Amino acid sequence: MADLVDSMLDLMRRLPPTRTEENVATLVDLCPDYADDLLGSVDQPLRVLLDKATGKEYLACDYNRDGESYRSPWSNEYDPYIEDGTVPSAKLRKLEIAANEAFDTYRELYFEGGASSVYLWDLEDGGFAGVVLFKKTMTPATAQEPSGSWDSIHVFETAERGRQAHYKLTSTVMLQLITRRGTEPVVSGSEKKNPEGLRTDGEVTLSGSMTRQTEQDWPIQDASSHITNTGKMIEEMEIKMRGLLQEVYFGKTRDIVHDLRSVEDLEKTRRQKELQKELVGFIKR
Amino acid sequence: MDQAERIDAVSSFLLQSPPGEINDVLNDVRNIIADDALLQEGILPSLREYNIAQFTTVDVPETNHQSIISEAARIVAEESEERFLDPRSKTTFVFDHLTLEASKPEPYELDTPHEEARVSLEKAALTYLASHFLDGTVSVFAPSELQEAFTLQIVANKYNPTNFWSGRWRSEYLVNLSDKRVKGKILLNVHYYEQGNVQLETTHNISFNIPAAAASAAPATAASKIIALIEDEESRYQVSLNETYREMGERTFKGLRRALPLTRQKIDWDKVTGYKLGAELSSSKGVFGSS
Repeated sequence: MADLVDSMLDLMRRLPPTRTEENVATLVDLCPDYADDLLGSVDQPLRVLLDKATGKEYLACDYNRDGESYRSPWSNEYDPYIEDGTVPSAKLRKLEIAANEAFDTYRELYFEGGASSVYLWDLEDGGFAGVVLFKKTMTPATAQEPSGSWDSIHVFETAERGRQAHYKLTSTVMLQLITRRGTEPVVSGSEKKNPEGLRTDGEVTLSGSMTRQTEQDWPIQDASSHITNTGKMIEEMEIKMRGLLQEVYFGKTRDIVHDLRSVEDLEKTRRQKELQKELVGFIKR
Repeated sequence: MDQAERIDAVSSFLLQSPPGEINDVLNDVRNIIADDALLQEGILPSLREYNIAQFTTVDVPETNHQSIISEAARIVAEESEERFLDPRSKTTFVFDHLTLEASKPEPYELDTPHEEARVSLEKAALTYLASHFLDGTVSVFAPSELQEAFTLQIVANKYNPTNFWSGRWRSEYLVNLSDKRVKGKILLNVHYYEQGNVQLETTHNISFNIPAAAASAAPATAASKIIALIEDEESRYQVSLNETYREMGERTFKGLRRALPLTRQKIDWDKVTGYKLGAELSSSKGVFGSS
């Protein structure tokens, strides 16, 4: 029943992104047989966990989960501890350690805080796949200060073809921005005077996720080329998506609000247009 | 989950439907439940709740206008069949929460002491609606046993599924002429879902005094003054929303992730990996493929 999964995914594309976790949990309860399909296809906000061995934060998602435990990329240990938890092969783990260091540098340069994690796994056909995760949260010091969070999930697959490697990258960014406001101070001067006893308060929430894919070929010299190549692709993709998010969050949604209500008086604009038409007609005569 | 729990679960999905997408959500839910008879029976209460909360609009029989389905429009009666009121045409009707159609219209006598003030507010509100809303509906209800204020409700919807977006503006004001106070709220919902799912959700509460001069004026004058104040506040809110957008873009968004590193240059990946890894990994050359 592939179309049942389609319906669940369509639902997740429509319901409020602020309630993704709660709704995914409900869908899993409704259709337990399809839990894996759903959890594998719906991106959920990343959880920040603490690696007890190194004291470093890491990110939890479906890719580093085994049962109820999550593997830390820093110590390679599962928490809660499990015996024989899935880990990458020794060689791939070596690359995973290096990738975590490289993307940690990337995280510091672009996010100036937050947490990052890279998880790699071997593929049956000889290649490997991985996920690069970033999360940054802004917590307000006071209720009136804005808050927000950014979660990046970059899943890639690669296959070597001689001196080249082919990469398939799927990137999702989840972004949430919240601003609370109380009564605005009375603006003196040209502004209209506030009515007597004016009180206002409110909240603006912009939340959601966007997903994009790309496939590229890059040359390889040695294993570390995979870090350089995926690094360039992910950096390019995040720059592109940041622009896209900016356009949709601050452009598109605002335009839609103005399609609902116009600040300018529509009647006045209509009358002015008619008057203009008349004038043009008059001059032509 | 037993059947009742399954219906409860999908009912919560229905109540979260973005503007104009309740039928899409209903289709998904239908597929999940796979029992139309059970579904139809079970979800009616949440469809009703959704229509009332979201100010669903309905073509009023025998008129050319629409009215709003809401708690204020609900006729509280002992009758078995629930009816809703369109105060503008003084008609009540039965509303089908699934097909969104009105039927069985009946004339309705409106409480006369408030009617002149109500009609004045409605007239001023209709003028305001035409001036600022591209596709809006307004209903003005007289005070009732449950509510001592006039209730003014506005809803405007834009659905554009071909371009993957929809939006809804709802506002509601309780105009209390004896307290000389207006209390209201504006609620905005926008959904943009081309290759993603982005939603804007806003709440804004407003209250202010009705100037004494306006409150004691003739109904027509009082109504236009009150509606003018509401118009000012809604416009001011919309302008302040632009300011919020600017602030979110400049402060929060930039604070979460920079456009470029402080150096204003993209990362030199050969450097990032080269220093630490070159030596360590060169020995494992070619292990990840056939080369």
